Amino acid sequence: MFLRTRREILAQASSGFGLMALAGLMAREGRAAPAPHFKPRVKNVIFCYMSGGVSHIDSFDPKPRLSKEAGQPMPVPIDRTMFNENGNIMPSPWEFKNYGQSGIPVSALFPHLGAVADDLAVIRSMTVKFMEHAQANNYYHSGSPLTGFPSLGAWVNYGLGTLNENLPGFVVLGSGEIPLGGINVFGSGFLPAVHQGSFLYPERDQPLENITPQEPDARQRKRLDFIAHADRDFLARADQDDQIETAIKNYETAYRMQSAVPELVDLRGESEATKKLYGLDSPNPGKAAYARQCLLARRLVERGVRFVELTVVPPKGLGGGNSWDQHTKLKEGHESNAFHVDQPIAGLIQDLKVRGLFQDTLVIWSGEFGRSPFVQGKDGRDHNPSGFSLWLAGGGIKGGTIFGATDEYGYRAVENVLTVYDLHATILHLLGLDHEKLTYRFGGRDFRLTDVHGQVIRGILA
Amino acid sequence: MRRFPVHVVGLLVLAGRASAQNEGADFFEKNVRPLLAQHCLACHSVASRPLMGGLRLDSREGVERGGSRGPAIVGGKPEASLLIRAVRQVDDKLRMPPTGKLKDAEIAILAQWVERGAPWGAAGTPPPAESQKFWSFIPPQEPRLPDVKNRAWVKSPLDAFLLAALEAKGLTPAPPADKRTLIRRATFDLTGLPPTPDDVRTFLDDRTPEAFSRVVDRLLASPRYGERWGRHWLDVARYADSNGLDENLVYKNAFRYRDYVVQTFNPDKPYDQFIPEQLAGDLLPGPGDLATSFERWTATGFLALGAKMLAEDDPVKMEMDIVDEQLDTAARAFMGLTVGCARCHDHKFDPIPTADYYSLAGIFKSSRTMENFKVVAKWHEYVLAPQEDRDRLQAHEDKIEAKKRESSRLVQAENAKLVAQARQAAGAYLLAAGDVERYDQVHLQPAPAGSGLAVRESGSFERGNISRPPQKGQRNIPVGQKGPFFAEYDFTVAAAGDYQIDVLEEEKGGGTADLWINGVLVKRGAEPIENRAASPDAGGWSVAGIFPLAAGKNILRLEHKNRFPYFEKFLVAPNPLPQGVPAPKTPAQLARQYGINPGFLEQWVDHLRRSKGAPHSVLYAWNVYGSGQSLAEWSSPAAKLFQDFRPANRQELAARYQDLFRESVRQWQALHPDREVAYEKEERYKKDEKEPGLPDAGLEALRQLLYEKFGPFRPPADSRQYFSAETRQELAKLEKEQKALEEATPEFPQAMGVREGDQIADLPIHIRGSHWTLGPVTPRRFLRVIAGENQPAIGNQESGRLQLAQWLTRKDHPLTSRVMVNRIWRWHFGRGIVPSPDNFGRLGEAPTNQPLLDWLSLRFIERGWSIKAMHRLVMLSSAYQMSTRYDGRAVEIDPENTLLWRMNRRRLEAEAIRDGIMAVAGDLDFTPGGSILTYKDRQYVSNTEKRGAPDYDRNIRAVYLPIVRSSMYEVFQAFDLPDSSMSNGDRDSTVVAPQALFMMNGSVVLKHTRKMAEGLLARTDLDDPGRIHHAYERALGRPAAPGEIDRALTFIAGVERAMENRKAEAAERRVFAWQSFCKALLASNEFIYLN
Repeated sequence: MFLRTRREILAQASSGFGLMALAGLMAREGRAAPAPHFKPRVKNVIFCYMSGGVSHIDSFDPKPRLSKEAGQPMPVPIDRTMFNENGNIMPSPWEFKNYGQSGIPVSALFPHLGAVADDLAVIRSMTVKFMEHAQANNYYHSGSPLTGFPSLGAWVNYGLGTLNENLPGFVVLGSGEIPLGGINVFGSGFLPAVHQGSFLYPERDQPLENITPQEPDARQRKRLDFIAHADRDFLARADQDDQIETAIKNYETAYRMQSAVPELVDLRGESEATKKLYGLDSPNPGKAAYARQCLLARRLVERGVRFVELTVVPPKGLGGGNSWDQHTKLKEGHESNAFHVDQPIAGLIQDLKVRGLFQDTLVIWSGEFGRSPFVQGKDGRDHNPSGFSLWLAGGGIKGGTIFGATDEYGYRAVENVLTVYDLHATILHLLGLDHEKLTYRFGGRDFRLTDVHGQVIRGILA
Repeated sequence: MRRFPVHVVGLLVLAGRASAQNEGADFFEKNVRPLLAQHCLACHSVASRPLMGGLRLDSREGVERGGSRGPAIVGGKPEASLLIRAVRQVDDKLRMPPTGKLKDAEIAILAQWVERGAPWGAAGTPPPAESQKFWSFIPPQEPRLPDVKNRAWVKSPLDAFLLAALEAKGLTPAPPADKRTLIRRATFDLTGLPPTPDDVRTFLDDRTPEAFSRVVDRLLASPRYGERWGRHWLDVARYADSNGLDENLVYKNAFRYRDYVVQTFNPDKPYDQFIPEQLAGDLLPGPGDLATSFERWTATGFLALGAKMLAEDDPVKMEMDIVDEQLDTAARAFMGLTVGCARCHDHKFDPIPTADYYSLAGIFKSSRTMENFKVVAKWHEYVLAPQEDRDRLQAHEDKIEAKKRESSRLVQAENAKLVAQARQAAGAYLLAAGDVERYDQVHLQPAPAGSGLAVRESGSFERGNISRPPQKGQRNIPVGQKGPFFAEYDFTVAAAGDYQIDVLEEEKGGGTADLWINGVLVKRGAEPIENRAASPDAGGWSVAGIFPLAAGKNILRLEHKNRFPYFEKFLVAPNPLPQGVPAPKTPAQLARQYGINPGFLEQWVDHLRRSKGAPHSVLYAWNVYGSGQSLAEWSSPAAKLFQDFRPANRQELAARYQDLFRESVRQWQALHPDREVAYEKEERYKKDEKEPGLPDAGLEALRQLLYEKFGPFRPPADSRQYFSAETRQELAKLEKEQKALEEATPEFPQAMGVREGDQIADLPIHIRGSHWTLGPVTPRRFLRVIAGENQPAIGNQESGRLQLAQWLTRKDHPLTSRVMVNRIWRWHFGRGIVPSPDNFGRLGEAPTNQPLLDWLSLRFIERGWSIKAMHRLVMLSSAYQMSTRYDGRAVEIDPENTLLWRMNRRRLEAEAIRDGIMAVAGDLDFTPGGSILTYKDRQYVSNTEKRGAPDYDRNIRAVYLPIVRSSMYEVFQAFDLPDSSMSNGDRDSTVVAPQALFMMNGSVVLKHTRKMAEGLLARTDLDDPGRIHHAYERALGRPAAPGEIDRALTFIAGVERAMENRKAEAAERRVFAWQSFCKALLASNEFIYLN
């Protein structure tokens, strides 16, 4: 319905009609032009989502005690786990090394990330309430284990609006494999649909659904002009209906997207050195694909896309969108997954710095939970929601920081225990948004990304 | 069945009145119950298995009665109360909770509670008195018809209600819509399709006052009506054809519910029958004929087809989650209430206490939706066949089950034999595993190029059942469906002796096959490594091993039980090791040498590797042997058994271990003579159960290694290959029989649905929603804010679903009728009188015109709950027939048009756009119902939007296309089809650029506009302006204006001209140009919007 008043339209139009075009005149937005609440530290977010659950004790949270007590039963009571095939303590198969000035320990899984350790703020005390993928994925993105709630990227776009009228504001890059929980993990929930994550498939012929014109440009242009003419007649009869105005503008936007998207995914203009930095030249198809995602992420933030989320690129036919989920063969699985992402993400950080984008961008690396310090079955690790690690880097972040801690076994977070709400509050804060003020009225209630929780994690802020 | 003790109910009622008791109850609820819940109830509640000490702390009665040691408390005397003594841990024998002492403050609270006489809490806050009731909980009263000035405008009393509100604001209604606009609006509203030019013509020609009424009647009588309005209900019923969430299984039979809904709307089944059929179709009396029974069973699919967490590993939680989903959906759908909020706490805004939630939950819990709650759980389906057929099917399924049980018993018995035998040879396993480790240190290099004595391409086998790859890079695809797959190569070497065999693999980690030489298994295959494509290593030569070959002909056999791995070639080279250096043996060879099982051996190797250096391990002595390390650090109780033992060599140490292991087994068997029968029994006595072990702690530690669930003597995953030939034959036979039975399963149509549960019971309140912390039991009954405190009890032989349905359809129910008429209004006007159609509670939006809503809801009941009667009532009003004309002054006063001074302009819904395109193109197939899903029932469907998606490219109506949760059809998604995980009576109509991309480039548009263009050109009775005219009439329901015809002709000619330099034939160019015009016409907003 047409809840927006003419006044609002005009107010918004003054900020440039083009800006409004893609954002769309939402049926139920009921909110003035989006703007930050205070001076933002960053403009964009790149979220490298490690779905399936990376093992924190094998990546950023070394636990020597696990080696000392290898094979021994856990000395503390343990919660039931997903598969409840809990065995005894299993030490990390990887060595840790202290990197950089900060001396942040990083395991041998991530040598490239180790090299940029001084840029990272490693959090070792994240917790989630759900030990099952679908619920945890939803929870990590929207603060709710259920579907139907807006994803982080959707909230950011709702809160800040887009900076590029020709591209969606929340882009999910991937090969088509998505985390368990389905595409709703990136959904807009009750927020207007314009804020939902739009998938770009860099590996496909059509990186975006219906983006390829089926006819030569001149003919399409002619047709769009014909439509525009008819629409203007209709609009005149419809007394300047604002929803229809937007719909008309959308044809122009869509038309421009047809060139903006192919231009975006065309990497021919990137130098060989840049490609190499990301690992695009890797003979390994999985690594090359993830490198392409990372490079595209940079190109997207360069073009003003607010929120870019990268999904895993699992090998053909194996792993699905859940590739870190090593219930068996931890060593092989984590090694190949880490090989995929290590160099590309480190390359991304370096490239952002070289181009002066690092200060305006927040890079986040995390899975939906960690993995158990005790073995599952023969050689796997089960899910560990009670304590795990992630890191952030970029504008406003105090690089070279370690924040929070798990117990000696890496089982439970014990120091500065954090929830996803704290992480969400911090991300919004860096973007200049007060998580308690960013609300949306739905079904008669004001909803927040952080529900009634969340505290900005000051300890990692510069 | 559990009943709440009478005197506690008495207490509960009193709690509301006497303030002292109220205070005590508050104290209990706030301070004591959380403590009990957190620390005690896991072992001391009705749900505890076993109930520790026979003590229940989940009710006052339980506390007073106490457990095996007597009453838990003495009122007023903390010192004398066992409960307090236990938590203070003053007595050595009674220290609670076992996980550690409570904090002092917590103990103080418990003591204070006992001091105060241990007041118990209430079952929840009582609902408020009548006078404070919210509007929607008071049944509608006949409103007074308001006086209006402009009486001529009032065609129906409903107009008077609207007009009075408008006049009060000084507003006037918009003039009537013209006839073309009106018929387009009505036709899309009732059928989801555009009117045909003939429909429009007939309406224009009918100048009688009943003309529009005739249109409405015609549309209501059309079978297309049920497809449109059934779809609206399917939104409410959160209909989908798959489960969604993490185990996304196909609901192959969900479509029967969908078809039932369509077939319910078409004959205008009264709404007060529709509700009971969906909630309790299986319980409705008479007439008893099969067709009616099938229909009613199918109707209960409403309860069954929600999204479920089928992999929830806690069966009790899974069941309660499903109950919650049903309860929440039913409450939203029929009452517009969000009852689900009360699962964990009293509803914060509506008068729905947690107790009422569990009253309703008891009804659904006493019903049966699932066959089981295993991971992955199976939902119940009705067999739509006569009783004798159902019996036959049941008997058949029982037979299959019996076969499965027989196989599994056999496997377990054989596993037990293997395990028992292996346990006796533990020493040999130690020695062999030690050898494996030593040989692992020897790194062999692939033979240098050109040194191969024999090189064979993978496809050059002499015997085999895999395909021969015609060229490099192509896989040896197994021929046939079932393994084992094998390939045998004959090759000769001149002299007998050891030879190195290398294999050229296309990729590392792709797995290897078992290797046999001359009939002897020499190397077991490796499973493929997950995620191997990510491995940095490309393929290349690798060493299989050094093996003895005979002089002359040798046979090399590669075998794999189900997926034969790809390799390019293998070669045989001379033994590279210096004279006298023994060739490293593979585990398979070692197993043979020691006469042990290779499967267990692998598990031993793995276990030793992981327990290496761990001082608490019973194998510490073995692990450090020869390293020079002392045994001083050895912390296992087994250490004392080796205290004075000084082995001369490994063999002696292994023998010592073997003796001790055997001794532990012997003692264990003597202690528990009945437990060694079958492996399945052993499972029950795994070490973490509190079963007394051997008296000697050292032997017990050794025994535990042998019996550990994931220990080295667990049955190997591929244990079957070690069974005796007879057993394997027997197993194969059983499986063949099982398969034959499965294939011969009689097939009948099935429908998802709910029936009465095996256990009818009231539920206790789940504190904070957790089934681990239970509160008082609540009787099954309905919301007390509506039904009051005095409700007839629901019998203990019935779930109460039927009574629930009867209660909902009572004439004095304040919500049922209002919620439904509001839904009908919403789909005619674009917004409900209550703008939040799914929430009539305090969090919902208030009605914009409550007298109107009440008047309509009373008419609905009065007219026998006929939905079609409501359409007529609404559509024949002046309000519905208003135009959408803009009024600048009205916009100032009522910008959102809440008072309806004009008709709302609406964007068509996803289905109407898609069906509309096909209808205009003359392409729509009106075949009703059925399923186009090619999946089997319960088959996994991808969460990914692309892979394995159903084929949506059909011309049937959109309502009949499947809805895969988490992977919605692109066209549906682009145009705001709601998320089918939750009941939803409203839809967004967003305006986003991907919609424009769809109209510009989408395949649906391309395909059908081609058809439309061809259809227009085939009209030889029309000239080009006539064709354009016709296209406008079909798409927009109006003739083209002269200027539009000119513009279209110019456009078409321009496209044709632009194509002249292309190769296409003139005729083809013409079709193209017309198609381009059709695309433009359908892409115009006038097509997508309804005036």
